[in-house]
Amino acid sequence: MQTWDQIINTALLGTDKRTLAANELPAELAAAVELIQKSTTDKEDQFLQIAALAFNYRQCGMLPLQKEGVTISKAAIEEKPYCSPWALQTVNDILESESNSLLQFWLQLCAAKNQVVTPELVPALLTIGTQQKKLQNLVVACCGKRGDWLSKFNPEWNFSTATTQEELWETGSAEQRKAVLEQLRKDDPAKARTWLQQTWAQEDAGTKVEWLMLMDINIGEDDIEFLESLAKEKSKKVKDVALWLLKQIPESPIVHQYQQVLQKTVTIGKKGLQIKLPAGLDENLFKTTGLDKLSNSKDFTDEEFIIFQMMQAVPPAFWETRLNSEPDIIIRSMQKDPIGKKLMPALVQAVVAFKDQQWATAFMQNSQVFYIDIIPLLPVKEQEFYSIKFMDQFSENIIEHAIKREDTWSLDLTRAIFIKTAKSVYQYNRSFYSRYIHCIPIGIVTELEKCAPAEDYLKNTWYNTSEYITTLINLKKQTIQSFND
Amino acid sequence: MQLSEEQVLALAPDESSRKSGKELSSPGKWVSKGVNELALWGECQGSGSKPYQTQVDLANIAFKCSCPSRKFPCKHGVGLLLLYARAKSEFTSHDMPAWVSEWIGKRSEKQEKQVEKKDKPVDEAAQAKRRQAREQKVSDGIEELLQWIKDIIRNGIISIPEKGSAWFENMSRRMVDAQASGLAGMIRTLSEINFYRDGWQTEFIDQLLRLYIIATGFKNNETLPTLLQQDIRTWIGFTQNQEELKEQTGVTDTWLVLGKQVTEEENLTIERNWLYGINSNQYALVLQFLIRGQGAQVALTPGLFIQAELVFYPSVSPLRAIVKKQLNTEKVQQYKGFANWQQVAEAETDQASILPFRNERPFIIEQVCPVFYNQQWWLQDSNNALMNIKGGFKNIWKLLSLSGGEALNMAVVGKETAYEPFGVWYQNEYRIL
Repeated sequence: MQTWDQIINTALLGTDKRTLAANELPAELAAAVELIQKSTTDKEDQFLQIAALAFNYRQCGMLPLQKEGVTISKAAIEEKPYCSPWALQTVNDILESESNSLLQFWLQLCAAKNQVVTPELVPALLTIGTQQKKLQNLVVACCGKRGDWLSKFNPEWNFSTATTQEELWETGSAEQRKAVLEQLRKDDPAKARTWLQQTWAQEDAGTKVEWLMLMDINIGEDDIEFLESLAKEKSKKVKDVALWLLKQIPESPIVHQYQQVLQKTVTIGKKGLQIKLPAGLDENLFKTTGLDKLSNSKDFTDEEFIIFQMMQAVPPAFWETRLNSEPDIIIRSMQKDPIGKKLMPALVQAVVAFKDQQWATAFMQNSQVFYIDIIPLLPVKEQEFYSIKFMDQFSENIIEHAIKREDTWSLDLTRAIFIKTAKSVYQYNRSFYSRYIHCIPIGIVTELEKCAPAEDYLKNTWYNTSEYITTLINLKKQTIQSFND
Repeated sequence: MQLSEEQVLALAPDESSRKSGKELSSPGKWVSKGVNELALWGECQGSGSKPYQTQVDLANIAFKCSCPSRKFPCKHGVGLLLLYARAKSEFTSHDMPAWVSEWIGKRSEKQEKQVEKKDKPVDEAAQAKRRQAREQKVSDGIEELLQWIKDIIRNGIISIPEKGSAWFENMSRRMVDAQASGLAGMIRTLSEINFYRDGWQTEFIDQLLRLYIIATGFKNNETLPTLLQQDIRTWIGFTQNQEELKEQTGVTDTWLVLGKQVTEEENLTIERNWLYGINSNQYALVLQFLIRGQGAQVALTPGLFIQAELVFYPSVSPLRAIVKKQLNTEKVQQYKGFANWQQVAEAETDQASILPFRNERPFIIEQVCPVFYNQQWWLQDSNNALMNIKGGFKNIWKLLSLSGGEALNMAVVGKETAYEPFGVWYQNEYRIL
């Protein structure tokens, strides 16, 4: 409005320097302006009154902007059903509790039931997705078509637009591609390898290392050819990881080579374990398989060190044939033998690398030393049994392993863990329970009091923490119930 | 007194008290708890050896606690009330312990004294004298204000951004002295304008002109219609006697609470509740001023329909009202909004022509859709007319998600060229944004 611009200009300069001219005002106001001019000669009053008149003239005539052709696309109709009002109420409570672990738990159940949230919740979940990368795929699944549509308007939410694994692999961020590869390696290892090979040449060394590490999941004979081809890679790190992986496949040529050497090296007799490397060992063995010739520890001779390295990469079952014995007996006799004792850790690493359950159990039953690395190889029941048994000595390591689990802990294990964590209130604060609530069984809620530390000053804190755990558990329970109904 | 969880949480002085209060709202935290018609009390085991004694005067919501917190109410007070709202059956004791009865006794004594004071006969002559003195004070203040405005206009507003807030604060204080608190507030708004933003000149002049219209309006009081005189007096800061107002017959209707805006100023929480009367087709603004630790007089939950009698403040364009009687809450879902922006503009013109210095008003507008045009979000009606969504609107994504590209019926608050959406009807249900 031109008149208004003139008024602002006059106001900016001041009535001392500028006066409004009659022709700067709309004709409709002429009569009123004339009245004002007659009623006062004061320049400021005149201006203020005319401006007040124009101000209301402007307000009264304000119209919306008429504009044809401005459109917005329509969101596709939701194909999946909405989750129940109760489930929605629960997720609202979870969002307020700020526990991402509970949120993940809720989203998993929602996705598993093939349900989606109502549009009201979509922006809140997408916003969380921008911060919590590992929740992104779940958020996308639970936000449905409305989420896809909405994310087109906000660049921060573009993680939501690609939904299939293939799309994500082709267009997603480094983080998302890694997640896709990891999942695929679990579901279909061959396909994961093929995808990896297809883009291999375009990736930098850092990415290659990261992705190669994921090949560890479900590694097998079919991977040998690809891994061997990596010997020509420029990056030493990539080559090292490829070798490390090859050493975990019983059928790989490296493992065979080592077995052949060890066959001639280790003997057992009346004097116990005897080791002697065969003369004229092939130089190539050192060059191509990454074997170190010189010992890096004063406790090991060079010869012992070479054997140690080879033992790490040979399936433990090899020793059963070689020594014509059973795991229990081999472990017990090695423990008594000075050389055997030295080589034990190599055997443990082999058990871990080849994920040999039988040997793992044998180690737990016969070894005088507790090897935490073996725990994950055991059946869940045994894992828990030994975790509880060694909790007092190795609580930190055992808890560290327990929190890596995706499933729910047994009541007994939970109790054992809580008795420990209740004593270390700074190390295991509220966020610990919030982060691992998916592992915590609902039944523990009635036993929290039993986990209280004896010391008075700790009791109070545990009491407060228990309240918090109870709230989390109730939300977890509510989540389960709300998707069961 | 029946307080809902939401109302209790509204009493908490800040977010951290709300959170701590919630944590303290489980029965296990309280060593003892009791209630009767006068008070609510409990002993909360804290980190000290003795439990804290927390008590609430229920007749006239007030708190007392033996904890050292300076917050008011403290987390124990909030927690105790929350627990009561959630699990009344937990409060099994009904005889006040000494520490409660003592405090309650003192409080009722005080109140009786206050009532005595109220009952004293009014000295009408003195009252008239006081009234006259105030009118004179306001008149003097307004003369000064007009002079101040004219000085600004004479020298030009180009140098205003350099003045700094102290300069405005001086004039604002002067208005407080003149017992014109409304004008003082308006001047403070002037100083709060962001002078770095494009268009500050219009914002400044608009507000300055409002002040000028009100000030000159007061001077020419006698020539104006009575209702407009009332409007001017209200804007200046003359208060309306609420007791007198409550004696008038109001508008009884089913009111939909369209939304609530909450602002905080020092110790005062100001609640602006926007209501819409289903049958009267009238909009209302119910203001509540909450001092920390005091409960709200009426609980207006956005999205709910309430059956109530509202008395409007006298005005040429009635909007502000008080709740005289709140009968019950019910769920009705009929309403009639404006069909398009043209109709809203016409209604706005009607309002502005009778009350040029008016505030924002609510509107229900039917079938509008958020669209993105020219780098900003607009609301498009069925005739392709666009209205700007107010800058800084936080819930644009929720609005957009609910719309999914389809037009919705919507409640907005605003004026002239920008409106802020409050709630929408989604699948026939009113949803707050």
